[in-house]
Amino acid sequence: MRSSVHRSQQVGVKPQWMRPACWALLLLISVLGMPYLDAIFRWVEPNARQVIYSRAEFYTLLGRHVFVVGVAAIVTISLGVLAGIAVTRQWGRDFLPLVGQVASLGQTFPPVAVLALAVPVLGFGTLPIIVALLLYGLLPIVRNTLAGLKDVDASIKQAALAMGMTPWQVLRRVELPLATPVILAGVRTSVTINIATAALGATVGASNLGDPIIAGIVNGNMAYVLQGALLIALLALAVDSLFDALQQRLDLRLSSS
Amino acid sequence: MIELSHVSKRFGEDTAVDDISLHVAKGKFCALVGSSGCGKSTTLRMINRLIAHSSGDIILDGQLVEQYNPVKLRRRIGYVIQSTGLFPHWTVARNIGLVPRLLKWSSNDVTTRVNELMHLLGLPVEEFAHKYPHQLSGGQAQRVGVARALAADPDILLMDEPFGALDPITREKLQDELAKLQARLHKTVVFVTHDMDEALKLADHLVVMREGRIVQQGTPLALLQHPNDPFVESLLGGLERGLKQAALTRVKDHMTSLGQSLPAQARIPADFSLRQALSMMLRDHCDRLTVVDQQDMPIGELSLRKIVKEARVDKVSHRDA
Repeated sequence: MRSSVHRSQQVGVKPQWMRPACWALLLLISVLGMPYLDAIFRWVEPNARQVIYSRAEFYTLLGRHVFVVGVAAIVTISLGVLAGIAVTRQWGRDFLPLVGQVASLGQTFPPVAVLALAVPVLGFGTLPIIVALLLYGLLPIVRNTLAGLKDVDASIKQAALAMGMTPWQVLRRVELPLATPVILAGVRTSVTINIATAALGATVGASNLGDPIIAGIVNGNMAYVLQGALLIALLALAVDSLFDALQQRLDLRLSSS
Repeated sequence: MIELSHVSKRFGEDTAVDDISLHVAKGKFCALVGSSGCGKSTTLRMINRLIAHSSGDIILDGQLVEQYNPVKLRRRIGYVIQSTGLFPHWTVARNIGLVPRLLKWSSNDVTTRVNELMHLLGLPVEEFAHKYPHQLSGGQAQRVGVARALAADPDILLMDEPFGALDPITREKLQDELAKLQARLHKTVVFVTHDMDEALKLADHLVVMREGRIVQQGTPLALLQHPNDPFVESLLGGLERGLKQAALTRVKDHMTSLGQSLPAQARIPADFSLRQALSMMLRDHCDRLTVVDQQDMPIGELSLRKIVKEARVDKVSHRDA
């Protein structure tokens, strides 16, 4: 009986991972199957010479898209969480308003404008879009890191210190674990927004899933636009539901018996 | 041993603690009593350096507190607070084992110690070890808080209104258990409370604070007999003071040997309090009780007239002194 319980735990996929897996599978099928959907897109654009975007393979575009968003996310998360931690420490408290304002400014500044300003300095290609995503995605992470850390009950932090934890141990073992659900929610918002925003990269020569959309707009080919938009939406849904599953797992762990 | 001498704490213009001196001998239970904002919690937190004192000396085991490394100091001082401060993302067992783990005990030793403490605090291991704090009642959570404070077997225990948030029945139960625990473990305890009855029940040494100063300190009985200030007197219950004093006095200290006269009908064990004896006299409409030992054998007699007379003599003799 014991071994059967054990086996079912090993083999069975936990229900919260089913949705992200489904979306990812659908994305994969769409990326690989897109070239064979000629008939459907012909119906959208009966008069076009070509209805399937073919300047690059869709999986290459998807790979670059994920790369750009991923790099931006890693940098944003590191910067945002570190800044959030720093300004909630005793020694960094003076910078709290400044960091809040810089992060808000980053998001109020339109990414298109960031791109326009970044290209003369950084040149065409991947770098300007990563910078734009970074600025745009910083606010949710900083804001949620601050909120998450601030929400940790003062008496719990005091007890941790009084038990003889070092400030670093209080942060590592108490504050961050308790703030993680809120921080993760910020990361989720940031990354999901940036998956869509990354498409702008196509305008400055960073080839990704935005390429078919821009090419479609330029050439008046709605089929291209649809293909790019569909794949970006599926990617966003897959990643978003992955975060959803992660949050559920975390909640489960925090409140499990 | 804890020694505070002329300790003050100023926050900017405000003086939270004003020139207090206080000595808690090893193994003694000291209660700081006063209304909120009187500086009692601040005093407590200066002992484990959660708050740095502004002037004066705080000496633990012969050494000034500022000479200790604060982290190491706190690991050898147990600390219990009203809101328990349990870590909500850790199980009961992990919460209790915190300080031993910080001190790098082996995991076997930690488990053994945690089980021992859960047993000591009346928390069955199988039932509670894997629960999370939000699954506990207030009383259970505070037991875990006390167990966590005792985990590394510290000599000193600081308790900041540990039972303040509990319902009266649970509070009384935990007070009784703490008294029993203290009789066994002999920790040096500093206990902050605004509840004078709690302080009278638990303390060997009572310190009444008001507006950052110590108004009076001494044994509970000494304070009850001779409050030197209207504030202390009102804290001690005004007219009820006589009964509170009686609660701290054992029947055996006031009984007389069995005389020629027949013992009274009502019986009372010798280690009951005088307060319980008085209550029994009122209930049973009598002014004499037969005092019995643990085997229920008569060993003496308690008479109301004599209790009242002795209380008067007490008062007169103290006035003379």
